[in-house]
Amino acid sequence: MNVVANTLWRIWGGVVLFFLLTPLFLVVLFSFGNSAVTAFPMGGVSFKWYRELFANPYFWGAFSNSLIVAGSVGLVSTMSGTMGALALARMRPRVATPTMFAIAAPIMVPPLVVGLALMVFYVTLGFKLSVFTVILSHLVFTQPFVILIVHARMVGFDYVAVESARDLGASPLRAFFTVTLPIARSTIIGAAFIAMALSLDDFIITFFTIAGGNTLPTFIWGMIRTQTDPTINAIATLLVSLTVVSSLIAMAVTRYRG
Amino acid sequence: MRFVRDWRVWLLTPAVGAFALLFLSPIVFFFVVSFWEVKLFKLNPTFTFANYIRTYNEYFEVALFTFGIAALIATITTFLGFTFTYVIRFKAGRFGSVLLFGAIIALFGGYLAKVYAWKTILGTNGILNSALLGVGLIETPVQSFIFNPGTVVVTLSHWLLPLAILPIYGSLRGVKDLTLDAARDLGATPWQVFSGIILPQCRAGLFAAFAFCFLISAGDYVTPRLVGGPSTTMIGNYIESLFGFRFDWPLGSSMAFATLFCCIALLAFTNYLLFKARRRE
Repeated sequence: MNVVANTLWRIWGGVVLFFLLTPLFLVVLFSFGNSAVTAFPMGGVSFKWYRELFANPYFWGAFSNSLIVAGSVGLVSTMSGTMGALALARMRPRVATPTMFAIAAPIMVPPLVVGLALMVFYVTLGFKLSVFTVILSHLVFTQPFVILIVHARMVGFDYVAVESARDLGASPLRAFFTVTLPIARSTIIGAAFIAMALSLDDFIITFFTIAGGNTLPTFIWGMIRTQTDPTINAIATLLVSLTVVSSLIAMAVTRYRG
Repeated sequence: MRFVRDWRVWLLTPAVGAFALLFLSPIVFFFVVSFWEVKLFKLNPTFTFANYIRTYNEYFEVALFTFGIAALIATITTFLGFTFTYVIRFKAGRFGSVLLFGAIIALFGGYLAKVYAWKTILGTNGILNSALLGVGLIETPVQSFIFNPGTVVVTLSHWLLPLAILPIYGSLRGVKDLTLDAARDLGATPWQVFSGIILPQCRAGLFAAFAFCFLISAGDYVTPRLVGGPSTTMIGNYIESLFGFRFDWPLGSSMAFATLFCCIALLAFTNYLLFKARRRE
C-alpha cells in the first residue's frame, strides 16, 4: 500500500516536472529544426536559424545592450545590496525586519506598475530614456534579491572572528576585507549572478524605460509580434542558456561554501 | 550625533537611497498623477476623483474578469507548487533533488521565451496540433487550443509555478521530522499529522506564493496580448494602451492603483480567513 502510494506521488512529481520543462525543451529543439514553421515534422537538423540571427545587425545591438545592462546592474546592485545587508544583519530585528519588508516591496508590485511609474517619473523630470534609465530601473527589483540573499547568510554569521581582528588592531575596513569578505564571498557572487539573470530576463520594465534601442527581451518582443519563424526559437534558446548558465553558476558557487 | 556616526546608517544609505529615489518617489508621483486630468493633450495638475469614477464605471467588469483569472492562476500554482514540494520533501527520497533541480532550471527559463513557447505549442498550426495530426488522433487542427482565457491560465501558471515553489519549499523545509515522528508515536493518523502539523507550519509560505502569483497575474498584459486573443483582454492591456496611443496617464494611473488596492484588499481578506481558520482549530 505504502509502496503504491509513494510511486503515485513520484509519478505526480514527474508529471509536474514534465509540465515545467517540456515547453523550454521544445523551444530549444525547434531552434535546430529545418522547417520554417514550428511544428512536426521538423525536417532534419540545421543551424540556419542561428546563422540568420547572427547575420542580423539589430541582434548584435540588442545583445551588447543586454550585456551592458546586466553587467552594470549586477555590479551596482551587488555593492549597494551587500552593504545594506551587512548593516541590516547587525541591527536589532525590530528595526531590520520592517526595513527589509519595505525594501522588498518592489518584488511584489506588478512590473507593469513599476515600469509605468518609472517612465512617467523620468519623462516628467526630463530624463532622456536610454540604456542608462534601464540600468537605474533594474536596480529597483534586483537589489532586494541581493539584500535578501546576503542577509540570510550574514544573520547566522559569528562575529567573534571580526571582533578578534579588531582587538588585534585591524581597522574596520581591514577587518572587513580580511575576515568578513572571504567568508561571505561565495554568497555575494551568487547574489550577483541572480541579479544579472533577473536583469537579462526583464521585459516589461525595460520596454517602458528604454524608448529607442533594444535589449534581448525587447528584441524578441518585436520579432514575436511581426513574424513567427524559428529565428525566435534560436534567440530564445540563447536567452534561456544565458540565464540558466548564470543561475547555475550562482547555485554552484553558493552551495560550495554557503 | 551618534546616529550620524553609526556605520550601519552609512552602509544602508545606497540601498535605501535607491529604494527611495527609484521606487518610492516614482510610485508616489504616479499615484498623485491619478488625481490629475488631461486637457488638450497636456497633463493638468488638479485634484479630481473623476479618473477613479471612470475606472469604476467603465472597467469594473474587466477588473472582475482579471481578478477571476488571477485567482484561478494563483490557486492552480499554489496547489501544484504545494503537492510538488510535498513530494520532494516527504515522498521522493533521492529523486526529490532531481525534481528540485528541474524546478530551478525552469525558474530561469525566460519570461518571453515561455510565452512564445506556449504560442508555438498551442497554435493552430503548432506543435500540439501537428503531433496529434501525425498520430492520427484528429483529422483537422483544433482551433480552440489558443486565443482564449484557458491559454492565458496555462501559460501564466507555467511561468509562475517555479516562483511559487520557492517560498513553499522554504516553509516545508522548516517542518522537522522529529515533530512528525513524535506526533505519529503519540498515535496521530496521517491526516492529523498533515492537517495539524504540516499545513499550519507552511501556511505563511502558501500565502506568500498565492499572493505573489495573484498580484503578478492581475498586472500582466503580455500573456493575454500574445496568447489570449480578443476574448481575453485583461485590465493590464487597457492600462498599457493608455500610455501609448490613447495618451491618458491620469486614467491609466488610477486604473493601476485601483487594481493594486483591490488586489491588496482581496489578499488581506484571504489572509484574514486563513487566520480565522487557524484560531478555530
